[in-house]
Amino acid sequence: MRTVSNPSSSDPATPNRPGASPQGFVGAALARVWVRRLIALLVFVGGWELLARFEILDPFYAPPPSRVLSVLASLFIDGSIWTHLQATFTAALLGLGFGLLVGAVLGFAAALVPLLAELLEPVMILFNAIPRVILAPLFVIWLGIGIASKVAVAFLLVAVLTFFAVYSGIREVDERLIERVRTLGGGRWVLLREVYLPSVTTWVMGNLKVAVGFAFTGAVVGEFVAASRGLGYLLTFAQSQFNAALTLALIVLIMAFVLLLFTLAGRLERRLLRWRYQQ
Amino acid sequence: MLDVRNLSVSYGDTPVLSRLDLHVAAGEFASLVGPSGSGKSSLLRAVTRLHEPSQGEVSTEVEAAQIGFLFQDDALLPWRRVRDNVALGLKIRGVAKKEAFEQAEMWLERLGLAGFGDRYPRQLSGGQRKRVALAQVLALQPRLLLMDEPFASLDAIVRHRITDDLLGWVEREQMTVLLVTHDLEEAISLSDSIYLLSQGPGATIRHRYEVPLPRPRDLVKVRSHPAFAPLYERLWHDLEREVDPDARDHTTDSTEKERVAA
Repeated sequence: MRTVSNPSSSDPATPNRPGASPQGFVGAALARVWVRRLIALLVFVGGWELLARFEILDPFYAPPPSRVLSVLASLFIDGSIWTHLQATFTAALLGLGFGLLVGAVLGFAAALVPLLAELLEPVMILFNAIPRVILAPLFVIWLGIGIASKVAVAFLLVAVLTFFAVYSGIREVDERLIERVRTLGGGRWVLLREVYLPSVTTWVMGNLKVAVGFAFTGAVVGEFVAASRGLGYLLTFAQSQFNAALTLALIVLIMAFVLLLFTLAGRLERRLLRWRYQQ
Repeated sequence: MLDVRNLSVSYGDTPVLSRLDLHVAAGEFASLVGPSGSGKSSLLRAVTRLHEPSQGEVSTEVEAAQIGFLFQDDALLPWRRVRDNVALGLKIRGVAKKEAFEQAEMWLERLGLAGFGDRYPRQLSGGQRKRVALAQVLALQPRLLLMDEPFASLDAIVRHRITDDLLGWVEREQMTVLLVTHDLEEAISLSDSIYLLSQGPGATIRHRYEVPLPRPRDLVKVRSHPAFAPLYERLWHDLEREVDPDARDHTTDSTEKERVAA
């Protein structure tokens, strides 16, 4: 029989039908990229666990994942982590919010007012070129070891990024769309609402994930420099004690939260830019 | 309806149009043909004040709001649904949102796009986007319609259908039209009169041709009308001479001819 088989005529002897036999099921599962990635991760973590258990890896430097996990769990069980989480999150989210707002407003203004662009552009290029975290010690001197200095670092990182996204976004707005709206009779206000604001939203949303990462970088680096609370503070504490398990637990925790925020940012992007994703 | 007198347009130091006169009567369908790069689009841009002319006068008997402009490309607002794109001009003119949407749906239906109002431009084919752009302009019921090679990018069948729909609409409404095109057949089959623009820089109107074809026209049948071929040959000859004044001395050199055809 050379013709393509009718799907309703089931042949129990066919081994390659997905789900029909263990072999077919595994084949179908391995065809998915996330399954292959998950397996690779499990092999990596499992291998690490075994190597650390048999002390081929020194547990002082590379404690087994099970120990990292139990340290992480104990942080939540005794509740000591919450105050640090709250401090870092507050600083990162405030920095993100203000950074997006101020960066967008300045970028918008610079794109529309040439004089402002003349003055702002060199400053922003300088801020963009240097590793902005070097300003963290200065912020601690100016704003103290409280939350304000961490917000300032996160803010600066996000604001410069957003400024360039919006500034170049507006300057690269499709000239044809502007002409189109003008020939339909639209003035400045209509152009702003129908062309500029949606363009800016596109650019800001495209940079939102990067901005989230920057906000956390800023907050944690600020806490490295001087703080009494926060995940960055806890990390420097763990490092000073040579506590590799706690250090790894905190790294995992920060990664988990940033991934969570990435997912939220991705959803927001898909919602606001649905014209781009809708099939 | 449209009176252009002594119009000069330049971009920077480069003169594009020089002392150009052109007249389109009410209800007339006029076309502007000419060598590529001679400034055909610049004329439309000067009429709509997208580019200020350096000299001369453009007068229309209608207000700016009654002039429709259909562009060469179909740049719709990508972030607005088809319905919003069509209703945009109406809303700018102060039509209430609900009313504007109803009219937009009506125009989409007339142009064969019923049920497409909720889509985004990205989800449409090139021909459909062109129809949306056309609906956007026709919804304003312009009395003077300016078109800049509007259907150049479409394949032959789609192009024929849209052109046919548009021709029917223009004839029924007795709209005044100025069409810029490089397609001589299109110019002859649609127009009442054709203006030939000279080779730039500093192009001007070289000649005006009457098109002696009866209306209403059928886009296919009109090509076999006895007056079609002679006019085509005359236009082709004159255009060729514009592009290359020595054409008759170098009949084997076809590169310039190809440039005109392209």
